[in-house]
Amino acid sequence: MRRVLVVITCLVLGAVIMSPRVQGQGGKVVIYSALDAPVTNEILKAFERTSGLQTEALTLAAAGTLATRIRAEKVRPQADVFLGGSIDFHAPLAKEGLLDAYKSPRLAEANLAPQFYDPNGYWTGWYIGALAIMYNRDRFEREMAPKGIKPPATWDDLLNPAFKGQVVLPSPITTGGGFIFTAAQIFRFANEDRAFEWLKQLAQNATFTPTAPAPITLVSRGEALVGMNWGHDIRAMAVNQGFPVELVFPPDTATEIGGVSIIKGSPNPDGARRFVDFMLSRVPQDINAKYGLRYPTRTDAPVPMGMPALTSLKFVAYNRQWAIDNMQRLREKWQSVIAK
Amino acid sequence: MQLSGTRARISLRVGDPGLLAAFLVVAAALVGFVLYPTLRVLAYPAVSDYLAAPHNTRWIAAMRNSLMMMVLSTASATLVGFVYAYATTRPNLPGRTAFRQVALLPLFAPPFMVAFAYILLFGRQGLITKQLLGLNVNLFGWQGLWLVQTVAFFPYAALIIAQVLEAINPTLEYAARDLGASEWTLFRTVTFPLARPGVAAAMLIVAISVLADFGNAVVLVGDMPLLATEAWFRIEGLGDLSGAAVVVSVLLLPTVGLFLLERVWVSRRLYTAITGRGGRLTRPPTPWYFLTPLLVFSIGVAIFVLLVYVAVLAGAFARTWGYNWTLTLDHWRLALGQSGPHLVNSIKVGVASALVTSSLALVAAFVTSRHVFRTERALDFLAVLPAALPGVFIGIGFLLAFNQPPLVLGGTPWILILALAFWHIPFGYQAAVAGMKQIDRSIEEAASNLGASGLQVLRDVYLPLLRGAFATSFVTSFIRAVTNLSIVVFLVTPRNLVATYAILSMIGGGFWGAAAALTTALLAVTFVAVGLARVALGRGLRGLPAG
Repeated sequence: MRRVLVVITCLVLGAVIMSPRVQGQGGKVVIYSALDAPVTNEILKAFERTSGLQTEALTLAAAGTLATRIRAEKVRPQADVFLGGSIDFHAPLAKEGLLDAYKSPRLAEANLAPQFYDPNGYWTGWYIGALAIMYNRDRFEREMAPKGIKPPATWDDLLNPAFKGQVVLPSPITTGGGFIFTAAQIFRFANEDRAFEWLKQLAQNATFTPTAPAPITLVSRGEALVGMNWGHDIRAMAVNQGFPVELVFPPDTATEIGGVSIIKGSPNPDGARRFVDFMLSRVPQDINAKYGLRYPTRTDAPVPMGMPALTSLKFVAYNRQWAIDNMQRLREKWQSVIAK
Repeated sequence: MQLSGTRARISLRVGDPGLLAAFLVVAAALVGFVLYPTLRVLAYPAVSDYLAAPHNTRWIAAMRNSLMMMVLSTASATLVGFVYAYATTRPNLPGRTAFRQVALLPLFAPPFMVAFAYILLFGRQGLITKQLLGLNVNLFGWQGLWLVQTVAFFPYAALIIAQVLEAINPTLEYAARDLGASEWTLFRTVTFPLARPGVAAAMLIVAISVLADFGNAVVLVGDMPLLATEAWFRIEGLGDLSGAAVVVSVLLLPTVGLFLLERVWVSRRLYTAITGRGGRLTRPPTPWYFLTPLLVFSIGVAIFVLLVYVAVLAGAFARTWGYNWTLTLDHWRLALGQSGPHLVNSIKVGVASALVTSSLALVAAFVTSRHVFRTERALDFLAVLPAALPGVFIGIGFLLAFNQPPLVLGGTPWILILALAFWHIPFGYQAAVAGMKQIDRSIEEAASNLGASGLQVLRDVYLPLLRGAFATSFVTSFIRAVTNLSIVVFLVTPRNLVATYAILSMIGGGFWGAAAALTTALLAVTFVAVGLARVALGRGLRGLPAG
């Protein structure tokens, strides 16, 4: 009797599991998003409202994993759009022939500066993030202020021996932010070897975490004293959540450009193109500024609340193309020279 | 206790069509879903990539570190698991059932969450280490990883060894005592030798799990190179599938070594304990001087395990975990609002994959024990191989293998279900094989003398006796499937999102409260599902807390 019940249960389960297999693509746009869920959901809701198309999204704040998934699905792509994540991840996909070129008619109206979109049309930049230093205010007041040590304000301050073992940064090998930080140092010194000497000294003071948000969590809870991460993430995840964290933009910081691109051979290329058109409008950039605190690429969009104006920040002379072209080599160099 | 070697084996003729069919099904399944994806991944890099591997100093360091962690964590986890299993199989230990339930808890650990909970409790600003004890403990590093891995993996050892210990016929213990053996002599000469197949099986599973451990390692030893994390780093950071494939194939070397070692140490002997003759007595009570230290030990381990889950629970209700302890239900609203359907999907996927795993593992263990077809060794290896492969490897392998003809599973839930099912086969298989070793051949001889064919022997003799192994494997596979992340990340589709994916998403966005809430919900739902499964699978759950 029990055997019969088990068999029936299996059949029922099988039927239930098989049922949502309706593949019908008709008008659906599938998106791999490297942004956080709240921002992604808002953007997709807005897109569905304005375009009338349905969307489905896989949201994972790990752009490298999504890019690898796109590579592995090369023969039969499951997704239409790769959304978010710095273009350091989109550009290599374009080089491997995995993206579709598309020059949106909206480009002229959006009036983006030329560094914000690929001249060949493979990717389009729609948000900007800037790197910042963060520190735990409570611990600083308790432990460092009595010794007369001032809070960090420049990249060189991270090397302060008083902070030994208390500094956390995202790893250059596994995160976009960590890599851009490393490249920024190379551009700051205008000399790769000097930069790597500086980074070696930093590695004596610091721990590098494999995931991007980890430094923020650690500094927020006082497990570490000083850190580095994207300004918008520090603000959204730490400051606005009530943690005693201060953020400061050093005078030679670097930026990421957040991209969107169309995957080649996708199920719904038309829907994908309409999505890219939508991303160039004000709506998603405003949403991102509101929920994600990221800077918009459109000049007519407002500055995120609580963040300094992008024009007030000072940037190192960052050669993005060189950084992307040398990404593999620099990461391997980091692995062999610094991470033992 | 009997030693084999010269004992004649039952050989069921190849003319037995039922057995042949079973063999073909098992072989096809293992070759198609274990060997084929593995080969697809191994064939992905160029030969030059493989040749360059020994020159990569970081990978050499990773190999060294992985082996070190494997030795340390396996030793401690098996030791803790053995003592714990021994304690909970003593009939007069107070609270046995509770202890057994607690031992299941670490299996429910979605990656990242538990490691972070440890940091919260035992880190530099840890609730226990700092607030309570005033220590300045740095949990990051291999010591912290050793601790976390021991607690994370001892349940595997405890489950397998407990099942073996339970099956030891009490008459042997009575006989030893009658002959004047002290408790310690009894343990040394009767209990431990009989438990050896369980210990060996447990060590193999734990060792391989430690080698492939990714979630804990990533959080606690970000700096220290390890083989399992290197594969993920290559993919996440460098998009280097080839490099990841090379690193993972290096992982296969120690695994094969372990596998051969276990086969040599255990397989040469038979440890018959279930003879099919005579009644079963209750085990004699253990004297207090043995029992008290066992009880203290069990309590210590249980508290350690429970603390972590209490921390997660607290995180689900506190406004800001570790900082602002005012209670709130906001996290629950966010978590369940967004991810209610994901929980349901997790259960569906878990049940389907666990059923496939347990059924196939049982039949496979039966087929490979027949020693009729020359290829048993190969099937045996294939059935254990998936345990050596990190989830990342399986995820990519299935993606490469089944996203195109001849068998297109991509986009359906089945690619995920089958990947999880075959990844967990080793657990079910080892449990079934260990269980089978304890069943005397004479029962089977009797059946076949009465005219039973191969499949009838399986159905009427082994299946009822192996219900415990089936149940253990079902429950373990189910829990692992529901809490898996590394495979899910690659194979989940927007339509079929599961809870662990949502938890990762929340952690990535810094929504710790919601992640803790969803983790708690997942735990609760899993417990309920496991309870239902135990009811459905009924009596004879020897390896599980049966109250």
